[in-house]
Amino acid sequence: MSLAAQAVSRSFGGVAALSRVDLELVPGEIHGLIGPNGSGKTTLLNLLCGYYRPDEGRILADSVDLTAAPVERRAPAGVARSFQTPRLLPTLSVLDNAMLGGWRELRSGFVASALALPGARAEDARLRERATELLHGVGLGRVLGRAAGHLEHAEQRFLEIARALAAGPRYVLLDEPAGGLTGAEIAHLGGILGVLRGAGIGVLLVEHHTDFVFRVCDRVTTLDLGRVLARGTPAEVRSDAEVIRVYLGA
Amino acid sequence: MLAGALFLIGLPLLAQDEYQLHLACLIGCYWILIAGLNLAVGYTGQLSIGHVGLLAIGAYVFAILAGRNGVNPYLALGAAGGMGGLCGLLLGLPSLRLPGFYFAMSTLAFALIVSELILAQGGLTGGGVGLAVPGFPKPVDTPAGFYCLVLAVSAVVSLLAWNVARHMWGRALIAVRDSAVAAAAVGVPLFRLKLTVFVFSGVTAGLAGALFASLQSYITPDTFVFDLGLFFFVCIIIGGRGSILGPFLGTVVLTVLPEAVAPLARLGNFFYGLLLLMVVLLLPEGIGRLVSVLRERFWPVRLESVAVAPDLPRLARALGHKQP
Repeated sequence: MSLAAQAVSRSFGGVAALSRVDLELVPGEIHGLIGPNGSGKTTLLNLLCGYYRPDEGRILADSVDLTAAPVERRAPAGVARSFQTPRLLPTLSVLDNAMLGGWRELRSGFVASALALPGARAEDARLRERATELLHGVGLGRVLGRAAGHLEHAEQRFLEIARALAAGPRYVLLDEPAGGLTGAEIAHLGGILGVLRGAGIGVLLVEHHTDFVFRVCDRVTTLDLGRVLARGTPAEVRSDAEVIRVYLGA
Repeated sequence: MLAGALFLIGLPLLAQDEYQLHLACLIGCYWILIAGLNLAVGYTGQLSIGHVGLLAIGAYVFAILAGRNGVNPYLALGAAGGMGGLCGLLLGLPSLRLPGFYFAMSTLAFALIVSELILAQGGLTGGGVGLAVPGFPKPVDTPAGFYCLVLAVSAVVSLLAWNVARHMWGRALIAVRDSAVAAAAVGVPLFRLKLTVFVFSGVTAGLAGALFASLQSYITPDTFVFDLGLFFFVCIIIGGRGSILGPFLGTVVLTVLPEAVAPLARLGNFFYGLLLLMVVLLLPEGIGRLVSVLRERFWPVRLESVAVAPDLPRLARALGHKQP
């Protein structure tokens, strides 16, 4: 049981962005992915999410080969994500945005939906209830009806997380979720990540905020120039001489 | 809502002359097409300007089946809807993968091809001379009866569109329009959604074409000028994207205004162009949101800032339900 990138390589116009990188995200861990700009973090995330295909190597989710699966097949395989720049639907309410995340559980087709058959209505009600609970959980319970376009930055970040959770994923990939948050909000984020771990979800945390990463993660992978520089517990990575030289500074 | 419904049902009694009833039927026919097209244009963001081609196909299927071959008009109406859906599928399959501008151009090309085919297949369609179109049997053979039929079909189509819009499909359609990346990330199959909605809009265009042809009682290729395709599109944009009431108001206003105010009719397309420009510049949300935009302008609601405060036990419970 894991979401795994196995020896993946990817180059752009002859420049290797990633060369033979392995990463394994297991349920119930918070796995940090750090590294300098251009080290390949985003490329790796995009390979896991299906925006790019690897030139070599494989992507597996619980032993299902996702290497060639398009983006929209990743959610049904239990992989959800948030975006570095929140991508919400500005005209829809917070609740509607979170409900959209539950799409993969939808069984009713267009006709059942157009006829508002009892099954379709019941599904809608169930997704609404789940999304409402999740939104209260991440702290957006008081703005359920507000248009997402009117949210403040932190609220948008937490809404993205709620949307990612709406389909009950086994793996959640968060792209710089602490970006632009205040100290108090980062603490809230840490609390949320702890709950996800407790619920058995594997969290991949791509983040520049290294203090936060070392504080909340169980394991940390450091990339540099498209290769794995170091991997281990926060304490091991933090004291790794190469990591200090390349990334953390003295 | 209820008052509006009562007004629409009682309209045959209120109408002062047959012309007003004819106009109401015309609005109804347009709306049947626009209600379906609105899901593609207003919700999914697929900018089709060629639905007049699908309208023409529905009209000719009806005229040929019911007029020439004596098929029961209700069966012919259903066949027109089916043919509209099939042609929508055939048009959508190759073109819906194209980016917005090219998709719009392919629908334009489709409308032109349909028009040329109708001219070329004179043996079937009457060519440039056109075809006479029969009415419906009793009790729908009077203007009031026909109005009731149009009203019934409009009501059903509106209800279907509204059901789609307010459930998960509606959210996913808006996601396809506003953020294809986010839609794909939550597992929405973009192409399948676009195609489904496009086929639905083809069915409603076919139904609208049949009723429209019966209302006109005689059709030629000139009945389906390209301007009409643009008119449908403009009704939705002026009405407002992502709403059903807005495009309905747009359809009513754009059909009635040139008829009611004679000087406007002389302006013709200039009037539509001017109205479109004014709405896009001054009220990009559409006339359906006029009231709420004005209210926001003069009595702004202050959004209180609420600090994000997670309720972690509740989050754990919400996630716990999920775990097998």
